[in-house]
Amino acid sequence: MADLKITALHKYYGGVHAVRGINLEIPAGEFTVLVGQSGCGKSTLLRTIAGLEELDKGSIEIGGEVVHHLPPRDRDIAMVFQNYALYPYMKVFDNIAFGLRSRKTPKAEIGPKVDRAAGMLGIHHLLDRYPRQLSGGQLQRVAIGRAIVRNARLYLFDEPLSNLDAQLRDEMRGEIKRLHQELGKTMIYVTHDQIEAMTMADRIVLMRDGVIEQAGAPLDLFERPATKYVAGFLGSPSMNFVEARLVAHGGGLGTLLDDGTALPLPPSRSEKLSGRIDQSVILGLRPEHMNRAHPGESRSGLAHYAATIELLQPTGSRTYATFKLGGTDVVAELQPHDVTQINQKIELSIDMNRAVLVDPSTEKVL
Amino acid sequence: MRAAFADRNFKYLLIGPAIFVLLLIGVFPLVYLLIVSFQGITMTEVSTEFVGGRNYAQLFDDVRMWEALLHTVIFTAIALPIELLLGLAMAQLFLEKLPGRQIFIALLVLPVVVSPIVSGATWSLLFDHRFGPINQVIGWITGNDTAILWTIKPNLVYPAIIAAEIWQWTPFMFLLLLAALANVDKSQLEAASIDGAGWWRTFFRIVLPAIWPVMAIAILIRGLDLFRLFDIIWALTRGGPGTMTETISMFTYVKGFQQFETSYTAAVAFLVIILLSAVVMLALKRVELAR
Amino acid sequence: MMTIKQRATIRTALRLVAAVVITLIFVFPMYWLFMISFKTPEEIYSFPPKWYPGQIHFANYAVLFKDGDAKTVWNSLVVAGSSTIIAMFLGTICAYSIARFRTGGEHLANWIISQRMIPPIAVVFPIFLLFVWLHLVDTYIGVIILYTAFNLPYVIWMMRGYILDIPKALEESALVDGCTRWQVIWKVVFPMCRAGLFATAIFTFVFAWNDFLFALVLTRSEATTYTVQITHFFGGQSNFWAKISAMSVLGTLPIFIAVAFMQRYLVRGISLGAVKG
Repeated sequence: MADLKITALHKYYGGVHAVRGINLEIPAGEFTVLVGQSGCGKSTLLRTIAGLEELDKGSIEIGGEVVHHLPPRDRDIAMVFQNYALYPYMKVFDNIAFGLRSRKTPKAEIGPKVDRAAGMLGIHHLLDRYPRQLSGGQLQRVAIGRAIVRNARLYLFDEPLSNLDAQLRDEMRGEIKRLHQELGKTMIYVTHDQIEAMTMADRIVLMRDGVIEQAGAPLDLFERPATKYVAGFLGSPSMNFVEARLVAHGGGLGTLLDDGTALPLPPSRSEKLSGRIDQSVILGLRPEHMNRAHPGESRSGLAHYAATIELLQPTGSRTYATFKLGGTDVVAELQPHDVTQINQKIELSIDMNRAVLVDPSTEKVL
Repeated sequence: MRAAFADRNFKYLLIGPAIFVLLLIGVFPLVYLLIVSFQGITMTEVSTEFVGGRNYAQLFDDVRMWEALLHTVIFTAIALPIELLLGLAMAQLFLEKLPGRQIFIALLVLPVVVSPIVSGATWSLLFDHRFGPINQVIGWITGNDTAILWTIKPNLVYPAIIAAEIWQWTPFMFLLLLAALANVDKSQLEAASIDGAGWWRTFFRIVLPAIWPVMAIAILIRGLDLFRLFDIIWALTRGGPGTMTETISMFTYVKGFQQFETSYTAAVAFLVIILLSAVVMLALKRVELAR
Repeated sequence: MMTIKQRATIRTALRLVAAVVITLIFVFPMYWLFMISFKTPEEIYSFPPKWYPGQIHFANYAVLFKDGDAKTVWNSLVVAGSSTIIAMFLGTICAYSIARFRTGGEHLANWIISQRMIPPIAVVFPIFLLFVWLHLVDTYIGVIILYTAFNLPYVIWMMRGYILDIPKALEESALVDGCTRWQVIWKVVFPMCRAGLFATAIFTFVFAWNDFLFALVLTRSEATTYTVQITHFFGGQSNFWAKISAMSVLGTLPIFIAVAFMQRYLVRGISLGAVKG
């Protein structure tokens, strides 16, 4: 049964139509990540679920009960905020206990519950301190503790890690995922960071301009994006897009780039596309699908290309190399010693099995 | 929707009582004032009959009223610039580190919170021709016994009142300008000094524009206060000698509560409100008091 | 040639001298007032005036209590205190509504601050007529209502600023955690702006406490405040300096003490929130 059901939800923000008809069902116990660029409506959607914003049309059901007319306190939700939202005048213990006390939890139960939540987050030693005495990571743990101490139906996270530095963010990502596994609660997590979405989600809901662009398991979205936007949003560095034309090529199909280079497509893909010969397409190539060609290597769907490297960005484990492909700058992810200097010529093999072809007029993946 | 309905009512429930009090004491009197100002009520006769603009016409021939207005403007025009410049100079003096800075500032602040009536009383102690220290100090300097009648002699009452006014309110300017100066971007000042700008140039090009918003608000607040000057003068001269130091506020008080010319007073009060509103609107257009 | 360090030392020394002189000038009137209040009548009326009392002498204060003048200080305390409490409560919830829900939009906020600009003399006259009709002249209630109304715009304006400084997420978090709107105000907003509440309350109190014009018009004998009482000691020919000074000190000392505790909020308070200090 769906734990959260959203039907045809609309929300106007000032003059802006921020959420434009969202339908979403989230099964009990699932970790769902709402991801998208700022202004895509993901936070508004989350806040509408929480009851902090009023919806303009549609309905929200939690656990089978229509809740969108109820104030937040009657929706059986807990929420973690971006800026922690801890009360500076209360000690950590009281901050965590705040929700329990507001809901008239018997005094005798409060202590053990706070202890248990603090134990799960490893913040037992901080209970006697004030928020101003804590570091950013500790503050975020307390904020999470304040949510999980309550036995809510639905847990909402509004970009909880975006104020932390990179290293802490990695650590907390794992921590929240572990908590989800231990608690088995339904959680909805909002972020603009595609890595957070990929690593944490059971299911990603990718939003754009107030609508859901695509929803599904992280690897599904990564490997089978429905639109150019999804393809470009997920993955780092992001997918390269090159304008091309579908042409007949050596018995099958190929993509002809502006500079005359032809990249053959594997036969498995040719059938479906045969009706589109001579039409223009956008060719999408992930950096990790372009490698240094090895002599004697020949697999179906591998295209070869002689690239002149214009820019090198070594990260240690990988080196990102920029070169021109059909007049467009593209980035390939190479092994550290594949290329050593710029203007070097290198033979690349491009895995056309995994290339994405996009219809330029609809931006839908073919 | 229930939640929405409750929320909408909640916010009006919160402002309700305060707005009610403000309407009762802020708007009702204005309306009442306007009505009375078109009637003919005096001490001797209660005539609620409509008399048209008679009271307003009377205003134009009332020399004493115009003089009171002029006195108010004079006090404002002299006291305000002095307070501003003196406050600015003091703020400069205390801007940088100085031993005991906090104590000095704490002491300098005191006049601001003193009741104007108390400061008027204090200055009449100081100005007392026989038992006050001011004449005594002048006596030490000139070598003669001095018994200047500060609050009685026509050519001295203005300096006396303005001195008291400056003493009380210069610290106000000082405090605001000190805060404003402390907020001036240090990197801009450093950049200016590297560019070789002198003190005056730096002050006029960088410091003054930076502190102007605060300065403008300080001038506005003090300007409005000066326009309703009453207490200090009441304690020092009661508008005397004659009506030499009578301000518009005092004039209104005398008309309404000593001579009981009810309807005429209403007209005067209304004129004051209109004049002040005009000044405030002009000022507010230039100064963004609301952030 | 002087070194930079020597120059700086001389500069600081000169500034220090200037600071001492200026501070002495500004403190002197208060010193004189306090000093006079401790003198015996003979000392007050001795010529040439002496700059310090022979001995600290409290008889001037005793006389105020004996003659019943001290009751006016009590009156001031009652009306200023009551009106401060009422204005703070009504003003703060109103400010909350305006700050959080934008109730009434910009116009309401502007109208409220404009109420502060109206000259007291212009409103006190019709209010006096109203109070005569309602039999509120010379009553505590009348003065309290007037001071409350007079201070409300200030409280609303200041508290609006302090409330806007509170992160909204704190309130939202409380809403999600099970608080009603009223509980949010009580459990989050009030504690979050405790310092602002305190500072604003002190200013509100000082405004009422220091007022003269309203009290002059609206009181006769029963509700007379200390500021009005001081002016009663000014005679045509001679002034009762002993009483004037002692009464002034009684009216001034409490606010000096209160202000000393809130130096940090002083600038924001007197600049109507325009300067956060």
